[in-house]
Amino acid sequence: MTLWELNKGETANVSHLWEHLDDSVSTRLVEMGFETDQNITCLRRSVFAGPLVIQIGDCVYSLEQKIAEQIFISTQETIS
Amino acid sequence: MKKILLVGKPNCGKSLLFNQLTGLRQKVANYPGVTVEIKSGRMAEYEIIDFPGTYSLNTLSIDEKVAVEQLTSRVKDEETELVVCVLDATRLERSLVFALQAQQLAIKENKQIVFVLNFIDEVKRFGHNIDLDGLSRELGAPVYALSARSLDGIAEFKDALLTAEYKNFPVQAPRAPLETTKQFVDFSRSLAKTYAMNKDVVLRNQNRVDTFLLNSFLGGFAFLAIMFVLFQSIFTWATPLMDGVETIIASFAGFVTQFTGEGVVTDFLNDAIFGGVGSFLVFVPQIMVLTFVIGLLEDSGYLARAALICHKPLSYFGLSGRSFIPYLSGHACAIPAIMAARTIESPRKRLITMLTIPLMSCSARLPVYALLVSVFIPSDQYFLGFFNMQGLTFFGLYMFGIVTALIISALLSHSKSTEQEQSEMPFIIELPSYRLPHWKPLYHRVINSGQQFIKRAAPVIFMVAVGIWVLGYFPLNASLEESWLGSIGHFIEPVFAPLGLDWRYGIAILMSFLAREVFVGALGTLYGMEGADENIAGLAQNIMNDGLPLGTGIGLLLFYVVALQCVATVATLKAETGNAKLSWGLYAAYGILAYILAFLANTFI
Repeated sequence: MTLWELNKGETANVSHLWEHLDDSVSTRLVEMGFETDQNITCLRRSVFAGPLVIQIGDCVYSLEQKIAEQIFISTQETIS
Repeated sequence: MKKILLVGKPNCGKSLLFNQLTGLRQKVANYPGVTVEIKSGRMAEYEIIDFPGTYSLNTLSIDEKVAVEQLTSRVKDEETELVVCVLDATRLERSLVFALQAQQLAIKENKQIVFVLNFIDEVKRFGHNIDLDGLSRELGAPVYALSARSLDGIAEFKDALLTAEYKNFPVQAPRAPLETTKQFVDFSRSLAKTYAMNKDVVLRNQNRVDTFLLNSFLGGFAFLAIMFVLFQSIFTWATPLMDGVETIIASFAGFVTQFTGEGVVTDFLNDAIFGGVGSFLVFVPQIMVLTFVIGLLEDSGYLARAALICHKPLSYFGLSGRSFIPYLSGHACAIPAIMAARTIESPRKRLITMLTIPLMSCSARLPVYALLVSVFIPSDQYFLGFFNMQGLTFFGLYMFGIVTALIISALLSHSKSTEQEQSEMPFIIELPSYRLPHWKPLYHRVINSGQQFIKRAAPVIFMVAVGIWVLGYFPLNASLEESWLGSIGHFIEPVFAPLGLDWRYGIAILMSFLAREVFVGALGTLYGMEGADENIAGLAQNIMNDGLPLGTGIGLLLFYVVALQCVATVATLKAETGNAKLSWGLYAAYGILAYILAFLANTFI
């Protein structure tokens, strides 16, 4: 599943980034902490499919739908 | 002079540290066409150079590329003694990624680097202690802890710089192989695990505030309230300051002209210099107030939230959440607004934002709106018995500008090629901690905004003011109608005839290409009255007696909403986009669009 599908309050692990992302964008995402196995928590969703707010590592980011759909995650349940 | 480079990630408190180290004088170098702003200041025999906050040395946008290229060449520079990398001590993990990259860059050029952990007071308040020696051993470079705000450790750090004690520490690499991005990220993470404080403790406060400020309902209210205050500040708080500047210019004009006697020199000074250039200096306080309020919002951390709230609605028009602040500032003046568009991450969206900012009803349009609205709308007419019709018309004009801007943005973003989109940075913003803004960086920002405005706009305004004055003044002793400008007005009368306007409006419009508010004064002169600026009601009466059809009047209003009649804005656009053709093309395009709208209104209403 993608980060966009994560509900408020849920936690998951980053699995991988969409492979067709531009190199510079995916490098930046990795530097921001979107790296395999990093813990990611959805802090809030906005109305009308607005950007979501997540916590990863020691940072809080807001991401729009387009990019959140290009970040793949696995939730605890799917791991076990 | 020996140089010290100051680098770090955004929101690490670098600007305040720079201000604390260098005192009140600083220079700002801007790079045309891009958003890079490099500040420099003195500390004893050192020059400290402050680079823009950077997330990574792997660049995404042109602006980052220029900043990183500048940094790379400055690190190579022989005069560079030291690189100081500032980290947010409360968020070591994310700060370390860039810090390690900066260190690699320094090591490559055999330059010394030291790390500064800022906000150490906050770390202490949370009861955490960072093992500086341990971290220093891991990183292979000296680590200092300080707080630029509470001044903890500042004196010691200054001492360390001045005595060059870091030189006892040989240039060495950190205790981990660092080549791939993954290695940088993993090493940062493992260091953070050992040395950093509990991240949930840090983020708890900010998340608590966000529960309110980002709430779909309450957050919306808070947002509107904050914007209301911002608008108030532009239009209400700035007014006494603007009046003050006006008074100073007037008394200075009076003082100077008493020595020049009567004649051409006095007329020139009064009309072209104090009247023309002076009328634009009046906007300086307003721009400084606007910069102050936006600076407060940014330094407190709210601006990132505002961008988040606006992102979705604006994205329907091909804009970004970050387009919001420039649009808002545009209601005071397009010049600082165009400069504020620098914060937009995507070059394409930044360009579209800059191109549509001139449609926001800036305060120079206010006198024009006020005049024409009072001609057509009686002041005692109410809609639904409650809303004043004049007020509603004003609101309508503002909305017309905003809606036109959004439509043009949508058109522009559809017509632009999509191939650029691939490498475009999507909308991701860090939501920084809420912090109380410190006056020092704000002070510099406000002063700088005033200086930039004058530097950018003054030369153009001066030339146009002189040009229009000459055309209007000669041949000597002729009335404005018989002057060269008057002749031009009569000559181009056919151009304005389809709009239902005679030569007097033609001249007033021509003159207002300098700055829109000139329209009122010029029209006043043509209607044979002095001081029309102060007596809009009197002029409105004159125009009413003269008979101006409703359709023509609405056309004229729409013309003023859309037309880009401000050479200073064009000059700023040229500087920010680095594209003169585009800027003047926009000037022409909005002129034509304004003309068509006025024509349609005159014909069909």
